[in-house]
Amino acid sequence: MTTATPDRTVSLRELSPAVRGTRPDEVVIAVSPAFAGHFTKTIVEVPHAEVLRQLLAGIEEQGVGARLVRVRDTADLAAIAHIGAKLSGSGISVGILSRGTTMIHQKDLARLSNLELFPQSPLLDPAVFRMIGSNAAQYAKGESPQPVPTRNDQMARPRWQAKAALLHLKEFECIEAGRGPVEVEAVFELTDAG
Amino acid sequence: MTATQPRPSDQPRHSLRTDVLEARPVNLDGFVEEWPEKGLVAMESAFDPAPSVRVEDGRIVELDGRQRADFDFMDTFIADHAIDVASAEESNALPSAEIARMLIDPRASRDDVLAVTRGLTPAKVLDVLKLMNVVEIMQGMQKMRARRTPANQAHSTSARDNPVQVAADAAEGALRGFAELETTLGVLRYAPLVAIALQVGAQVGRGGVLTQCALEEATELELGMRGITAYAETISIYGTESVFIDGDDTPWSKAFLASAYASRGIKMRFTSGTGSEVQMGNAEGKSMLYLEIRCILMAKGAGVQGLQNGSISCIGVPGAVPGGLRAVAAENLVASMMDLECASGNDQSFSHSAMRRTARMMPQLLPGTDFVCSGYSAVPNADNMFAGSNFDTEDYDDWNTIQRDFQVDGGLRHVREDEILLARSKAARALQALFAYLDLPAVTDDEVEAATYANSSADYPFRDVLADLKGAQAVMDRGITGLDIVKGLESAGFHDVAENLLTVLRQRVSGDLLQTSAVLTADFTPLSAINDPNDYAGPGTGYRLEGERWAELKKLRHVTSATDPESEVR
Repeated sequence: MTTATPDRTVSLRELSPAVRGTRPDEVVIAVSPAFAGHFTKTIVEVPHAEVLRQLLAGIEEQGVGARLVRVRDTADLAAIAHIGAKLSGSGISVGILSRGTTMIHQKDLARLSNLELFPQSPLLDPAVFRMIGSNAAQYAKGESPQPVPTRNDQMARPRWQAKAALLHLKEFECIEAGRGPVEVEAVFELTDAG
Repeated sequence: MTATQPRPSDQPRHSLRTDVLEARPVNLDGFVEEWPEKGLVAMESAFDPAPSVRVEDGRIVELDGRQRADFDFMDTFIADHAIDVASAEESNALPSAEIARMLIDPRASRDDVLAVTRGLTPAKVLDVLKLMNVVEIMQGMQKMRARRTPANQAHSTSARDNPVQVAADAAEGALRGFAELETTLGVLRYAPLVAIALQVGAQVGRGGVLTQCALEEATELELGMRGITAYAETISIYGTESVFIDGDDTPWSKAFLASAYASRGIKMRFTSGTGSEVQMGNAEGKSMLYLEIRCILMAKGAGVQGLQNGSISCIGVPGAVPGGLRAVAAENLVASMMDLECASGNDQSFSHSAMRRTARMMPQLLPGTDFVCSGYSAVPNADNMFAGSNFDTEDYDDWNTIQRDFQVDGGLRHVREDEILLARSKAARALQALFAYLDLPAVTDDEVEAATYANSSADYPFRDVLADLKGAQAVMDRGITGLDIVKGLESAGFHDVAENLLTVLRQRVSGDLLQTSAVLTADFTPLSAINDPNDYAGPGTGYRLEGERWAELKKLRHVTSATDPESEVR
């Protein structure tokens, strides 16, 4: 007998054009054009459903609310995160690309600056995403959390560099020029693979 | 109960051999399919332009199918500064096959080839290279390398930015044969102390070794102007206008920076490499090699003497596509064909497979290049702050053995341990004395002892990082220069080290290190394409590993004596 683990999938249902939030205790999660759409998992195959679940759990365990936004007209992580921060009631956002590269941003910082950056997407696992969510929520509450420990792996280059380039090019193709950010709702589904 | 786990029918059974192959390190490397429309292709793309050139009134008005009115700034810079207008139409009219044959025919001299290549357009250069297989590319490199004598370059860094470690490893690296040493930092503010340590260690190991510190451009220039470093290399250029603009740069701003170095007699080269544009998503649909050829011509047009290329930090991209390493070997050859010094990659971590790591450097090691590695890690890779190299300290004996196997000079040699320990200890003691003289944070006797016998940063006592960072700032605030380092070494009794450093500094007055491919020999003779030009003209000519140098490279850690087979050659 084998027991199949249920797969969690997510789709993002578009609600309405994204607007600036009014709750001071919220974090905006801003996702890239192809996140949970054209793509379903990160470069190391963490399902986007799991990424969102961990980010949301990390935020909620700090007693902070979360809102999801899809940015459609750029695949530049700094731009995505900064757009999210400007929409966030607290001014704090988590920006994320389909391959997993993630950034915590704040609305008053320069676009190319950030609070925390996680550039090596192959090293981001579910536990790291949960810590990122938690830290973003703590910033939203005006706290100064310890940055999430960054990892480094010199062999990430030979293994992942070209695939990252490929994923980046594909994400670029999903850009919808001139279309503003849209508020989305995450619809999770459990599919029993057995 | 069954003895074996039932297998779901949709999972085919694998052979045991497949399991063995799956577990091989090479399968940890990433490989991708080509995507030429987006530039994810090494050198054979239908989307690269066809060569063409038209000159009117002494000006190039058409370049590779584009009219001057449609030039982007790369085209403009290359047309106005890189291509020899007088010979452009004639050279481009030659069949590409004829130019490719000249590259491999020993009867055509290096100068004969340069007379043609200086007029070629980027697409024409690509057209020539596409005709050449990797053996022909190596044959071309053997002749076109600018300096007759090959050399090698190393990284000397520390995971803790520990200056004592950098000094000791620089001394060992210099003693082992590297002609240039470069460092960079984890914590950038540490730079002045680590750059001083690199310079001191290098001059202890072998007088005349040149050093540099890779930093953001303004600080890097300032350290060079002060004489704390001897050359510069990390001035990055790119093959498309959009990537240049992303970095707030233009060919002219890079050329301006190059002239700032030249104005002080400081050696410098640019850095570029295949894969960077596609990595940044702005390849404009051109192949990696075509874009790199544009970089090489841009460097030529800026008037710099040399280029570090061979993909460098983007090696994972050409390394993942078909023919990628052929393109990487080709880009090194193009740099040499443009009469530039070529520091030829083999730099950053490239593969999990020892076999692939070795294969990757053969097209540079066998023909010889100006610097076979533009960053062999002279520290364990865990200490490599350039994010790891293709080779590190663990590979020293392998490298020496391969030189001996093939009778080729890769710039290194085996050195006996007693000599190495002496140099490491002296470097640490010289730094200790210098820091005391300059009133910088002390180096303890325990640190000197650790440096003598250490392998990695983990083998050293912790330093007071905050005190070091204050000291580093003081170096900048107090305006400490290379001459202050010379004075400190001299007054502390390290006369020979002081003399070595002073002689390196004097080179910037003579300007000899501005010549193409310049390095300093152990007796401080500048060796460059001017006084050591590559004179390869077929079998029996050019640089040959022979005489004293060959005798030196025959030595390894363990060689059984022929006269007394019960002992080893010392």
